Amino acid sequence: MSTDTPQDQDGPETTDAQARQQLIDLAAEFYDQFAEGDVPQMRIPTRTKSNIEYDEEKNVWVYGDRTSTRSAKSVSGAQKLLKATYTIDFLAEQLDQGRSSTLRELYYLSESWDLDEAQFNSQDESNSLIEDLEIVSEVKREDFHMRPEESGAKVMGPLLLREQTRRGDREIHCQDDVGQGGYQIPNNPDTIEFLENDAEFVLCVETGGMRDRLVENGFDEDYDAIVVHLGGQPARATRRLTKRLHDELGLPVTVFTDGDPWSYRIFGSVSYGSIKSAHLSEYLATPQAQFIGIQPEDIVEYDLPTDPLADSDVNALESELEDPRFQSDYWTEQIELQLDIDKKSEQQSLASYGLDFVTDTYLPERLDEMGVL
Amino acid sequence: MTSFQSELGEGGGGIAEELAESQRSISIAEFFEKNKHMLGFDSEARALVTAVKEAVDNALDASEEAGVLPDIYVEIEEVGDYYRLVVEDNGPGITKEQIPKVFGKLLYGSRFHKREQNRGQQGIGISAAVLYSQLTSGKSAKITSRTRGSVEAEYFELIIDTDTNEPEIDVEETTSWDRPHGTRIELEMEGNMRARSQLHDYIKHTAVVNPHARIELREPNAHIKSERATDQLPEETEEIRPHPHGVELGTLLKMLEATDSYSVSGFLQGEFTRVGGKTSDTVIDNFRDRHFGREMAWRPPQAHESADVSDAVEAVVANKGADATAEFAGRLDDALEGYDRVAHHQIAALVDDIADDVEEKYDKTFGTTVREKAVEAAWQAVLGQADEDVTDEEGEDDDEPDSQHETLRSDLYALVDDATSTRKDDATIEGLADRLAPKFAEAGTRHRVTRDDLEEFVRRAAEATEEYDDATFGETARENVVEALWDAAVRVPDDPPKVSEIVSDRDTASDLLDAMRATDIIAPPTDCLAPITDELIEEGLRKEFDADFYAASTRDASVHGGDPFIVEAGIAYGGELEEGSKAEVMRFANRVPLVYQRGACATTDVVKSINWRNYNLNQPGGSGIPTDAAVIMVHIASTNVPFTSESKDAVANIPELESEIELAIREAARELKSFLKKRRSMQQRRKKQDKLATILPEMAEKLSAVTGNDELNIDDSLARIMNNVLVERERDGDTVTLVVENNSDRSADLELTEIVAGSEPALENGDASVVEMEGEWFLKWSVSVSAGDSATLEYDVDEDATFDVSVDGIEEERLTVDA
Repeated sequence: MSTDTPQDQDGPETTDAQARQQLIDLAAEFYDQFAEGDVPQMRIPTRTKSNIEYDEEKNVWVYGDRTSTRSAKSVSGAQKLLKATYTIDFLAEQLDQGRSSTLRELYYLSESWDLDEAQFNSQDESNSLIEDLEIVSEVKREDFHMRPEESGAKVMGPLLLREQTRRGDREIHCQDDVGQGGYQIPNNPDTIEFLENDAEFVLCVETGGMRDRLVENGFDEDYDAIVVHLGGQPARATRRLTKRLHDELGLPVTVFTDGDPWSYRIFGSVSYGSIKSAHLSEYLATPQAQFIGIQPEDIVEYDLPTDPLADSDVNALESELEDPRFQSDYWTEQIELQLDIDKKSEQQSLASYGLDFVTDTYLPERLDEMGVL
Repeated sequence: MTSFQSELGEGGGGIAEELAESQRSISIAEFFEKNKHMLGFDSEARALVTAVKEAVDNALDASEEAGVLPDIYVEIEEVGDYYRLVVEDNGPGITKEQIPKVFGKLLYGSRFHKREQNRGQQGIGISAAVLYSQLTSGKSAKITSRTRGSVEAEYFELIIDTDTNEPEIDVEETTSWDRPHGTRIELEMEGNMRARSQLHDYIKHTAVVNPHARIELREPNAHIKSERATDQLPEETEEIRPHPHGVELGTLLKMLEATDSYSVSGFLQGEFTRVGGKTSDTVIDNFRDRHFGREMAWRPPQAHESADVSDAVEAVVANKGADATAEFAGRLDDALEGYDRVAHHQIAALVDDIADDVEEKYDKTFGTTVREKAVEAAWQAVLGQADEDVTDEEGEDDDEPDSQHETLRSDLYALVDDATSTRKDDATIEGLADRLAPKFAEAGTRHRVTRDDLEEFVRRAAEATEEYDDATFGETARENVVEALWDAAVRVPDDPPKVSEIVSDRDTASDLLDAMRATDIIAPPTDCLAPITDELIEEGLRKEFDADFYAASTRDASVHGGDPFIVEAGIAYGGELEEGSKAEVMRFANRVPLVYQRGACATTDVVKSINWRNYNLNQPGGSGIPTDAAVIMVHIASTNVPFTSESKDAVANIPELESEIELAIREAARELKSFLKKRRSMQQRRKKQDKLATILPEMAEKLSAVTGNDELNIDDSLARIMNNVLVERERDGDTVTLVVENNSDRSADLELTEIVAGSEPALENGDASVVEMEGEWFLKWSVSVSAGDSATLEYDVDEDATFDVSVDGIEEERLTVDA
């Protein structure tokens, strides 16, 4: 089993037939192990914080050398392999028929499998099995036609693109052709083709409230910004689109979140890739992304309204200090400062200086500092 | 009492006579009535069980003594208001003369006082049952007995005369009986079957510990039959004499009364085990110390001291001639100088010796009076009184105590100083010696003291010293001083009292008992015990309980007091035994089941105290009787099982015994533990195998479907997964190959048997044996395959042959046969 990330990160080259074949090859490997009288097993990289390392060449965080083995030697291992086999069967069928389904649907669908042992006990289990299959078959789940329950977030900004939809290709301008909500990112953003843009940079925003404030204040128009709504931990589609905006259009990417440890992880997953999908970092992460704030420094500088850090916040910050992705002088300084002041602030706390403060003062000042404007 | 007192005070002389009229010896029946509970007849339910128990115990003892495998039949029948109990055995039978005494006289038996491992001991059991039956139903006991070789059986109907404790025979005749020998007793009594479960337990438990017996019980509601599991009779037990450490004062007095010996030495050697001449001498020495005490010995006057023994002696010897007198006195003086310390009796012996010599030499008679005077003079000289004043017969008496006091005081000072720690200051030691010195006068002229006397002297002297000298003289110091004084004192040569004197004096007997206990005597022999043995205990359990596992242990003999004992334990587990309720604890003493008073028994206490979780049994709370499908049995064999009461229901909590019980149980439990451990791991293995046997074939089927390949055979993978030994057959033309692949982590020794039919096989390799039987060839290989290795067995056979392989020497769970 290789742990290499998928080769083809640009565009929809993985056809359904290829994806199907790669799944069947995996099944064939199990088949051969049985036929040889060996114990069927599947080796996959250990998906923990301690097993990710920085790939200098590709500038992203990927899995290290540590692997764990799902082996039929134990009952639970055998059960995982059985579920994998059933899932491969289901996915191959789905690709055959050109259908798609959601991760949640897969979980419920397993209820219909005749063998109790093959059924999933929780959606976490089915989700993580799909990740396993992605890794060992080297096919992205989008190419299995598996999508998450929630679709990608929304984009607003001076960008014209073409999307292949089930109802044919559509050309859409992300300011002129969309409503207040913006353009909805499809599950597989590789079906999008960028046509034209007048954008200066990409601004990823954590909360819906702040996105709406920026749009209402006309920030995208005033500063030629593509505002991407992350909506908490960003979906893969959002991260993929962000990466393409950076790579293909050469736009600087900035991230604007709350000033707490959970939000830094949101930035981390945009910029460095997430631990659970480190096998796709090369495809999803935008290492050049820059953090706007709220920085702990801003809390002090702008004297923002704050909440005290909860114990869980402190633990999360301390765990980030040990996270290989946050091992930079900048983050060490900021996190230690936050631990020191023992405070956190939300994006909306900027409203304590008026509704326009964020667009008139804070963002221009920060973007200027960062050299984006 | 007070009212009598006042009447007596008034001089009413008739009271004593009045009281005497109502005083009479109570009858045996009355005694029985009052002591029913002690004998196990306290309730109707229990009476029936006790009667069965007494009769069966007797029957077992009788058959074993006669070397006959016991065959016992018990029947209980309702007859109107009463129950009729019949117990039959195939024992040696009882002679015509003995029958009335055995059944019709309480306390008649051959075993009272006998040191032997026996079921019954008091000779009270069966006659008590007879008495109970006659008291409750008024019917006589019906006894049939036939001795081996007799043509006819004797038949008696009898009751016990409760006034005289003598049998009263109603019918005496001969009769015919189908048993060639044995005894049958039939009793009618009040009773009820409320104790049915105890009765069944008793029969069942008896069967467990008597695997050589066939026992049958027929009662109105049930019929229990227990066949024998072995033809081996228990070892015959040797009777042993009591051990000196194992007798009580009462027993000792009885033995003293009964003995033919005249001297203590003869009595000790004749009546006790492990007592020979040497031991008996030591016991008698200790006896002397206790009975007579020792004589305090003092330092004789030294040459430079003013007290001159020879002068003193010469002064009291008159009319023996100057030479003889001088030699006598001189030699005595010299002899005394040879002593470091000398006691009164030692001087007396010297005087006698020397006097005899001198008599002979000078032809003078040294009579008793002279000798006594000489002894007295020498003794006084030793005590420091023989200064020049002695010659002055009229000397002031007042001086005497002073000079004697001074001598003893300085002697004692040295002794006390030696015996106490160096930290005691001089004044304290002086004070104690000063106060001790006059105490010896209390011990008579010969200064004869027991150890108790010495302790008393030292106590008083020490207390006075503490009080007046403001010093401390603690327990240890006092003990050390007593010890030093006792050591300095000399054992007296007096002859010990004769047996006849001891028997008439309790205190003397008590001194003798103390002396026996104080003497080191080797433990009693243990060959007088007949344990059931672990093998037969296992057999017994196997016979009565349908379980999965049996273990038993027999400890080596130990000794408590003067009685040897052996503890054995057995455990049965699983199978048909009830799960989830408390384990059954079976208690036995000398092969007799203990049915009542479980909570008061040392055995139960020990079972409860063990942490059974260590042995993989359920034990809620980690103490108490385990809650699991188990039977735990403990057997105590001893010449004298220490019971808590006369009814012999519970064993007393004696540390030595409890410790042996625990060790015996633990020994058996260790085996149980490894069994359960193995079983648990096999269970898990089987569970895993079952689970994998559903999962993997489904996976294989799915894989075939997804990949579009042929169906898979996953046996090899499965064997490898289960770390099993895989036996696989390959066939290539005429050649059949059996491959034994050991996937486990330990080596496997297997017996493979291949049954070939239809054609004769030709062996290629391996030293297989071939046996032909009715057109079938049995090929047998013994192979040893080490962990991770494989072995290949090959033979040639025609195409049309059929074969079938079987594998022995390995658990089913660890084997996969793909052939």
